[in-house]
Amino acid sequence: MLTRRTFLEAVGGATLVSTRPTQAESSVPRRIAIITTIWKYLSHAQHMGDRFLVGYPRHGKWHEPPIQVVSLYVDQKPEGDLSGQRAAEHGFKIYRSIAETLRCGTDKLAVDAVVIIGEHGSYPTNEKGQKLYPRYEFFQEVVRVFEQSRRSVPVFNDKHLSYSWKKARQMVSDSKRLGFPFLAGSSLPVTWRLPPVEIPYGAEVEEALMLGVGGSDAMDYHALEAMQCMVERRKGGETGIRSVQMLEGEAVWKAGEQGRWSKRLLEAALSRSDSLQGDSQLDSRPQDLAHNGQLPTLAKNPAAYFIERNDGLRTTLLMLNGAMRDFTFAARLRAGEIVSTQFFLPPTPNVTYSACLVAQIERMIVSGRAPYPVERTQITSAMLDRCLDSKVAGHRRLETPELDVSYRAPQ
Amino acid sequence: MRGSRRDFLAGMAATSPPGEATRPAGRRPRIAALTTVYYKYSHSEHIIDRFLDGYGWESRHHRPPMDVVSLYVEQVGDKDLSRERAQRHPGMRIYPTVAEALTQAGSDLAVDGVLLIGEHGHYPVNEKGQKLYPRYEYFQQVVEVYRQSGKTAPLFNDKHLSWNWDYAREMADTAKQMGFGFMAGSSLPVTWRQPSIDLPRGVEVEEAVSIWAGGIDGGDIHALEALQSIVERRRGGETGVRAVQAVRGERFWQALESGSWEGGGWDRQLLEAALCRSNQLNPARATYSNVFPSNRDLRRLAPDAYAYRFEYGDGLRASIIQFQAAPKQKGGGVVGDCNVAARLKGGDVFSVLFYLPYYSMRNFFSPQVHHIESLFLTGKAPYPLERTLLTTGMTAAGIESLYQKQQRLETPHLAIRYEPTRESTFWRT
Repeated sequence: MLTRRTFLEAVGGATLVSTRPTQAESSVPRRIAIITTIWKYLSHAQHMGDRFLVGYPRHGKWHEPPIQVVSLYVDQKPEGDLSGQRAAEHGFKIYRSIAETLRCGTDKLAVDAVVIIGEHGSYPTNEKGQKLYPRYEFFQEVVRVFEQSRRSVPVFNDKHLSYSWKKARQMVSDSKRLGFPFLAGSSLPVTWRLPPVEIPYGAEVEEALMLGVGGSDAMDYHALEAMQCMVERRKGGETGIRSVQMLEGEAVWKAGEQGRWSKRLLEAALSRSDSLQGDSQLDSRPQDLAHNGQLPTLAKNPAAYFIERNDGLRTTLLMLNGAMRDFTFAARLRAGEIVSTQFFLPPTPNVTYSACLVAQIERMIVSGRAPYPVERTQITSAMLDRCLDSKVAGHRRLETPELDVSYRAPQ
Repeated sequence: MRGSRRDFLAGMAATSPPGEATRPAGRRPRIAALTTVYYKYSHSEHIIDRFLDGYGWESRHHRPPMDVVSLYVEQVGDKDLSRERAQRHPGMRIYPTVAEALTQAGSDLAVDGVLLIGEHGHYPVNEKGQKLYPRYEYFQQVVEVYRQSGKTAPLFNDKHLSWNWDYAREMADTAKQMGFGFMAGSSLPVTWRQPSIDLPRGVEVEEAVSIWAGGIDGGDIHALEALQSIVERRRGGETGVRAVQAVRGERFWQALESGSWEGGGWDRQLLEAALCRSNQLNPARATYSNVFPSNRDLRRLAPDAYAYRFEYGDGLRASIIQFQAAPKQKGGGVVGDCNVAARLKGGDVFSVLFYLPYYSMRNFFSPQVHHIESLFLTGKAPYPLERTLLTTGMTAAGIESLYQKQQRLETPHLAIRYEPTRESTFWRT
């Protein structure tokens, strides 16, 4: 029988909340700057930024982070802007430039960390369908202040580093050159999973399949990073990407017939979906969507993102709008076992997956160490950019020697 | 679970009369489904559809190794799906009575398992707010067939046994006397949890709370089953409940303000823990999407809140707190999901969300059906019926206290003892 002690060890203390205050709670708050595109209700900046202001639920407590937002840069103030109200209520200042925001009106860096949230707002979209959020540009202005001040502090960047693989690479390289902790990415890798499984660390993975929904390049990014946080744990770690190809429409189903993605893994990933559409939407019946022939009828414009790794692993993302509404994953291990799960996105407005992400940002800010490698986000940014290159290049397979990003996931 | 000789014999079902029907090796079990209604999002649709169409389970589209061969539906309205289902699954025939469904219109019991789903439909509501679903009446008709046939089959009863304690007690006793496997309850105890944890068996629990959104009777049983599936694992096992008191209106708000059991309410720390597990915490402030509510916020968001405070036989204290909005209150309510917190001896707090995937297929019925399959295959309930017998009695007692002007009521009839399963039975894989 599980004793109380082994139980506490097993859950790492995160499950039971002690009534005694921890040391971290009593320490001096870290001063942070937030750099964002917009701050409107239900924007990323609102979801994440507010958690630093009013706290968030964590481990069964309302957690007040030992963090003080002291300055804000907001690029656009559309109708519904909340930045002024938040600044007045919570006592921080909005500056007109990123440099001023980081210097808080002085002549050098005056914050302990920077949170960049370049999501939502009016920005142009290019021919590949990428929305040109100025994350790279924001980041470069931050780096300039670091350089001028001869001091750097931890930086978080929400979602992909950039729509451009080259800019993403430059950002990671700058962070290494200046030696500051750099954390980035989506909330999917850190949200709840149903069931709560991981690829066993160091396992040999034979094939992986991710299913996702939503538009490009917003939601495919989330799906790709979810897949990445699973397969990066494989034997040998991440080795980089040899080639990518994106297919759309009928070609996606043909590729399945040819065995380019696994139907067995499709069944496994679909078994984790809570939101099948079609007849399930009509009268709530469960469906064997992998075998009942309805999938092509429901997912009228499917897309397949084929990502072949340098160690030979084949990984595929299928975007199946119309067939489901959640994000699920399946992989076959060399031992024959299939690992499958759903990356659970709790509903609006709480979207507590963003609390999971803010907890990781807080970890970095408080400890000075990124809890997982920024290369995960770099390689995901890059594979998406190159898949979209394939899309506009007639869905050709592209060799990607430039995506030789290798790294080890934390255990 | 307890492996007594009696349970073993009941599971084997060969010895004591009338005796469970024996199924020839290799033949798939035949199941009869009895239900009040069959429409989209009804419990019967969710449960029976999973037997007919299968469901996603552990990387497969799983098809239960058994066949629903007969169906009884009491109320067939415009939204009915039973005819469509019977047409698409010709192996399932619809019968006009419970007895005919069980005998497949013959003279003897002709099925190996029975689904009794008495939820939804038009039934009278009594002066206490209980909807008089005919679960007991169906059950009586089932055991009448068992008696006449001289054999029995395992039976699943959805949600609480009955709105009426005496009926529930009789149902449990009848199953025991006749020796058939009897499983019941809500899907709450077996659905996903966040985090994915159970109370370790044998810990000492001092106080617990379960919070949700109200609904006299129909909502109460779910919040209670969630609570009970946690606290039953405490040291000494379940000992039953000795008293209950309901609080509503001004007394509820005083109880909330008191912040402690001693003050007539519940530990405010437990309420905070439960609120902080929710994924559907109604934002108390405009333009904020996730903020912690003050007591004033709670009062504004859930003016019709009520609670039942239970004293257990071994001294445990537990409350279900139903944050109920006013009828038609726009933007009202506090939590859209059920959360439980428990304070252990020494002060540590255990808390967990019972996650119900409320999307197209309502997949929280999948683990419940998984356990029902096990009942039909083994003849044994995968978790003790006593849990649902107790929660049925607690629900009725809480409602009675509300009805009797929030009087504290002694509940000697709820001195129900049982041991929980050794292994956890919630959805983890």
